[in-house]
Amino acid sequence: MTTILAEARRASADVHPLVAFRLAALRGRSTPAVIAGAGLFFFMTAAFAVLPALLDGAQSSDRALSMLLLLPTAYLAFLVTTTFAIIGAGGGRELLPRDEGVAFPVSPTTDHLGALMLVPLNIAWILQGWSLLGLTAFAAGAQNLWAVQITTLAWLFFGTALAQAIAWAVEGVRRLPHGSWVVKGGGALLALGTVSLVLADNVTAALDQSPTLDAVVVALNGRHVNGRWATGTAVIIVGGVIAVAVGAFVAHLVARRPPLEELQADGRAIAPRAIARSELAALVRTDRSSVWRSVPLRRGFLILALIPGLVAAAGQLEWEMLPVLPGLVASGSALLFGVNAWALDGVGAVWRDSLPVRPDLVFAARVWVLCEVLLVASALTLVVGGLRAGGLPTTSEATALLATLVVVSLQVVARSMHWSVRRPFAMDLRSARGTPAPPLAMVTYSSYLALTSTLTGMVFAVAAQADDPRLSLVLAVPFLLAAVRRLAITRREWSTPDTRAYVVATVSTR
Amino acid sequence: MFGRLSQVSSPAIDVRALHVQFGAVEAVRWLDLSVPAGGSTALVGRNGAGKSTTMRVLAGVIPPVGGEVYVGGHDVRRDALGAKRVSGYCPDVGGLVPRATPWEHLQLSARLRRLPPGWEEDARDLLERFDLGAAAHRVTSGFSHGMGRRMSVVLAAFHHPRVLLLDEPFDGVDPFGAEATLDVIADARSRGAAVLVSTHLLELAVQASDEAVVLRGGMVVGAAQANELGGEAGARAYRALLA
Repeated sequence: MTTILAEARRASADVHPLVAFRLAALRGRSTPAVIAGAGLFFFMTAAFAVLPALLDGAQSSDRALSMLLLLPTAYLAFLVTTTFAIIGAGGGRELLPRDEGVAFPVSPTTDHLGALMLVPLNIAWILQGWSLLGLTAFAAGAQNLWAVQITTLAWLFFGTALAQAIAWAVEGVRRLPHGSWVVKGGGALLALGTVSLVLADNVTAALDQSPTLDAVVVALNGRHVNGRWATGTAVIIVGGVIAVAVGAFVAHLVARRPPLEELQADGRAIAPRAIARSELAALVRTDRSSVWRSVPLRRGFLILALIPGLVAAAGQLEWEMLPVLPGLVASGSALLFGVNAWALDGVGAVWRDSLPVRPDLVFAARVWVLCEVLLVASALTLVVGGLRAGGLPTTSEATALLATLVVVSLQVVARSMHWSVRRPFAMDLRSARGTPAPPLAMVTYSSYLALTSTLTGMVFAVAAQADDPRLSLVLAVPFLLAAVRRLAITRREWSTPDTRAYVVATVSTR
Repeated sequence: MFGRLSQVSSPAIDVRALHVQFGAVEAVRWLDLSVPAGGSTALVGRNGAGKSTTMRVLAGVIPPVGGEVYVGGHDVRRDALGAKRVSGYCPDVGGLVPRATPWEHLQLSARLRRLPPGWEEDARDLLERFDLGAAAHRVTSGFSHGMGRRMSVVLAAFHHPRVLLLDEPFDGVDPFGAEATLDVIADARSRGAAVLVSTHLLELAVQASDEAVVLRGGMVVGAAQANELGGEAGARAYRALLA
């Protein structure tokens, strides 16, 4: 027991130098940007936790009651989406990437704690956290709000720690012989179960049984700062601590097993095809292979394409609200590789740049493939989300959906290619735990993409309610022109030898 | 023993006063170099001497800050595409797209170089010579370092370029792979191609080339016939230049 505690203390202490190592890599304007970002995060968190309680109708109105009834579902949704996000990331992000970390004695406990620390550096987590704080504040009102929000924060801690532990367990199963199929089967069963609940119209009844109801009751007891609140909150916090410990234990088990699925992908044979008919086709084929043959990219794509659609179907989101979805899905898909698109070539980037082909053709191929990924993911989401949207869409709704699909995809592609050329990173995209950019850059990218694409989606959600379907088409024109202009500027930058040399030299070091 | 080699008329690789700078770091300083058609020159020197940067400039991957660089008669600054068409380049590290197979690399290169039908036979032959035939349809992310190096040499040479640029082709390669690489260099020269080999392995540089240029700190510090670098006396002189 003493040895275990000593190891745990040592592993916890090791997190600090790793964080310092990561922060030391910040250059130039990055340091003040990080400080400003952290300040903004804490300011916004405080604002979401307090301001809604001061609004008219807080606690006492019908809307407040509706929010109160929604809270257990929101608590559950936070847990479920965080769990899926970490599962999709193969056990969570790494403080030190695998290939950089081989020379250092980093224990699985340190890795686990690092992954746990990095979970909140994700716009989906941040937005959900703020939503929970805001909903709770509006539903509970201003009386002893501090106590209520302590319980909400305790839930965020517990939910994140539990999600991380579950994700390690799933990753452990995935690394067993045939484990990948077990996980896929489990995922399919879960999806089928959700679909059957939705079809049988039992979603509300099932959500009423959610254990998160108890956590919400504890939070509301905070208004009276009584013993039930104190005990309940303590139980949630202790539960979180236990989840952290269990997660560390499971992380050790996972570390003993190699990532079989990724290793099998490295060794598998590919049937040869006839040579491509044109230069562009040859380039597109190579780029497409780099995306679809990657286990983590495929996994991330499926999660992003299906989960939002299933949630929309479960919530019976109507056609006129569906235009909000493509933007979120396209943004998420771009965050798989698009924001650092040249890193797809990895160490092969130098060789590829030595081939006799016009740079703009190479650029066009990468844009094409990124567009494909984003459009397919968003279209899949709309198909799944539309299953319970109430019959067929009207002409206005269908036009708005189509316009959103094209506009946000091109918007996200243009922005992603801009970042890819301006701020390339040497990142390992082979690992499921890898990201196309460092964690702090990912927060910036995801925030920007989520904000712009949601706003664009909302514009078309309004247009979907108009009588004239041509409104969506007219609205799409300026968005498309702006995106095409940005793409043209980026293509010109990429065609400059100095810029290309910098990008290639950067991404090819991994 | 060391001195400036006389310039050869109309060389296939012609570098005059090449200057490359990364921020405050001068990677290559006023480098002169020429390799005639059918000739082979080795760039030797310690790590960070500027060998790979020079090779990348010749391959059209890095634009030079100053000087003139001609590859197969093409000015790499003004006509990088032309230079790339006549050359074959094996980069110093990596060099392979992780999720593509060797055969797909060859197909991509063949398409972009517009090779006429029939290239496949030469490519297969080269893969077999480098012991990569069995791995031709496996993604390269699972390759060992040596396999990756050998495959990079295959990619540089399979289309019979007029200028062959091999950057550290022997690094981590077994004796059979090194032998196959030496054969490729000999074949290229016999066809009239100019070969430039960058390596820090002196013995192999001597075998691969008939001239050697020693770099230190981005500058040429000596040049000699390669055979003059052989043996103990050559190695001593080489070490003296590197010190």
